[in-house]
Amino acid sequence: MPDLILKVKNLKKAYNDKPAVDGISFEVKKGEIFGILGPNGAGKTTTLEMIETLRPIDSGTILVDGIDVGEHPNQVKQIIGVQPQTAAFQDKQKLSEIIEMFAAAYGERVHAKEFLEDVELGEKANDFAESLSGGQRQRLSIAAALVHSPKLFFLDEPTTGLDPQARRNLWDLIRSVRDRGVTVILTTHYLEEAELLCDRVAIMDSGKIIALDTPHNLVKQLLKRGFTKEQQVEQANLEDVFIDLTGKGLRD
Amino acid sequence: MSDVPSQSLKQQLRTVVVFTKLSTKRFFRDRLAQFFSILFPLIFLFVFGSLNNGNKNVTFSVAVLDQSKTSFATKFDHELHSSSTFKVDPTLTTLSAAENKMAKNQLDGIIILPSNFGTIKPGQHYPSGQAQILYDESNVGTGQTLTSVLQSVFNQINTKFVAVQEPFSASGQALNKASLSSFDYTFSGLLGFSIIGLGIFGPVNVFPELKKQGILRRLHTTPLKTWQYFLATMFSQALTGAIAIAIQFAVAIKIFHLKVDGNYPEIALFTIFSIFMILGLGLAIGGWAKNERQAAPLSNIIVFPMLFLSGTFFPRYLMPHWLQSVTNYLPLTPVIDGLRLLTTEGKSLLDIGPQLGLIAIWFVVIYAIAFRVFKWE
Repeated sequence: MPDLILKVKNLKKAYNDKPAVDGISFEVKKGEIFGILGPNGAGKTTTLEMIETLRPIDSGTILVDGIDVGEHPNQVKQIIGVQPQTAAFQDKQKLSEIIEMFAAAYGERVHAKEFLEDVELGEKANDFAESLSGGQRQRLSIAAALVHSPKLFFLDEPTTGLDPQARRNLWDLIRSVRDRGVTVILTTHYLEEAELLCDRVAIMDSGKIIALDTPHNLVKQLLKRGFTKEQQVEQANLEDVFIDLTGKGLRD
Repeated sequence: MSDVPSQSLKQQLRTVVVFTKLSTKRFFRDRLAQFFSILFPLIFLFVFGSLNNGNKNVTFSVAVLDQSKTSFATKFDHELHSSSTFKVDPTLTTLSAAENKMAKNQLDGIIILPSNFGTIKPGQHYPSGQAQILYDESNVGTGQTLTSVLQSVFNQINTKFVAVQEPFSASGQALNKASLSSFDYTFSGLLGFSIIGLGIFGPVNVFPELKKQGILRRLHTTPLKTWQYFLATMFSQALTGAIAIAIQFAVAIKIFHLKVDGNYPEIALFTIFSIFMILGLGLAIGGWAKNERQAAPLSNIIVFPMLFLSGTFFPRYLMPHWLQSVTNYLPLTPVIDGLRLLTTEGKSLLDIGPQLGLIAIWFVVIYAIAFRVFKWE
C-alpha cells in the first residue's frame, strides 16, 4: 500500500440539519494531484474547510499525515498550505513583505525573493500587491502558501477567472509544486482542467462522493456503459485555436 | 504518525515582531490612515484651541447711551470706550437699537448715563449721578456682574471726590500658577478623542473589510494565534498613536501655549497604556462584527456616550452631580482625567492610582470579551 497523506473517514457536516457533507470517505496518496469536482453546493468547499481546520467536524475522522485534525488542529496547520478561492492581500504591502509575513506566521524566516522567483514574480518583489493582475495574484498566493514547505497543498478553484494563458501557466506551476514532493488537492469547475492535471478525481454531489478514480478510468467506465456523444468529436476545440493564435506566453 | 515540532515561544514572539513591523510600515504608506489618526484630531485641536484662546479676560460687550451733556459724562464715556473690560459698540446710539441687539444675545448690557449724570448739585462741589444698567432677564448673572464691576469703578472715582476712610477692603489677586485654563480641559479631552479615533474607529473600519476579503480567514489557516495578532495590532497602534499624540502636544505647546507641568516619559507611558485599553474596544467590536453593517451601529453605541460624557468636548465639572458620578466609570473618563492630571496639574503616575486602577480593570474586562468574541471570518 502506498503512503497516504490524507485519510478521511465517514466525514459529516450539517448546517441547520441539512447535510452539506454526508458521510464521505476517501484517501489521498503522497505525491498525487487530487481533484474534487462537483456542481455548486455539492459540499466540496465544506469538505476542504474541515480538512483545513477552519470548520468544526460534526462526525467522522480526518487524518493528515497521521495527525487527527479534530484533536491537533495546530499541528495540522503547520504542515498544510492553503490557497483560498480569492487571493486577496492587504493594500500598501510589498510582495516581499507578504511572503515574510506568511513565513512569520509559521515561525519561519525565509528569503522572500527566492519564493517570488519560483512563481516568476522576482522582479516585482518591491511592488504593492494591489498592482498585480489576477494571474499574478494567484501566483503570489501560491508562493505565500508554500513558504513553510507544507506536505499537503490545497487550492480552491485556482484558475477561475483567469485567461487561457494564465491558466496554462498555473497548471505548470501546480505540476512543478507536485514534482517537489508536495501533494496537491484542488477543486475546480473546469473538467478539462481536472482531466489534464489530476492523477485522480472525486466527483461529489449532494454531500456524497459518487465517483472516484483516474480521469482515464472514469471515461472508460462511461464508454463501457454504451455512452456515445451526439456530435462527432473534433481533434481540436476553440481553446486550442485561441492558444494557437495568441501563443502560450503569459500576458500579465 | 509524523511528528510536527511546535513553535517555541521565541518563534511565536518573533512572529509578533514581524507583524508589528509590517503593519507599522503599512501605516506610513497609507495616506488615509495618517489623515484620520493625525490630521483629523489636529483640526479639532485648532478649532477648540482658537475658541478658547480669545477668552482669557472677562469682557462685557455693552452699549453706552450718553444722554447727559456734562463734561464728566463725556469723560466717563470716553474712559469706558478705551477700557479693556468693556467692549463698547459705537454703532448703537438709540435705546431701541441696543435693546434689539441685546435680545439677540449679542450684547451683555446697556449703560445709560441719564441727563442729570455728572451735574454738580447745589451746595456740593463735586459731580454726582446714577448710571442705569439694563440687562436681559435671561442673563441675570452677567448683568449683576456688570453692575458690580461698574459700581467698583464708581467707588474708585468717589474716593477722589470725597475723602473717606475705608476700614475694610478686599483685594483680589489672580493665582495663575496652578489654575487651569479651559484649554487645559479641552486639550486632555481632545487627546481622549484622538485615542478613541485611533483605538476604536481604526479596527472597526479595517477588520470587517479584512474579513470580507478573506484576509483574516487566510491567516487563520496558518498557525498564527489570536493573541499574536492582537499583540501585533496593539504594538503598531501604540507606536502610531504615540506619534499622533506627540504631534498634538507639539502643536498645543507651540501655538496654543499649553504649559506642560509634568514629565514626558510618564505621559507617554500612560498614553500607551490608555491606547491599549481603548484599542481593546475596537478589537472587540471589529473582531466580533461579521461586516460593516454590524460594526458601525455597535461602535456608535459605545463611542458616542463616551465622547459626550467622558469630558471630550465638555468638561465634566459642568455636568450635574449624579451624571458625573455615573460617567466617572466610563472607560474614557480615567484616560482624560489622567492625561490632564499628568500634563497640566503636575501630578505623577503615583498620584493617579484611581485612574490607573480603573483603566486596568477595563483592560482586563475588555480583552476578556475581545478574545471571546473574535472571529476570523
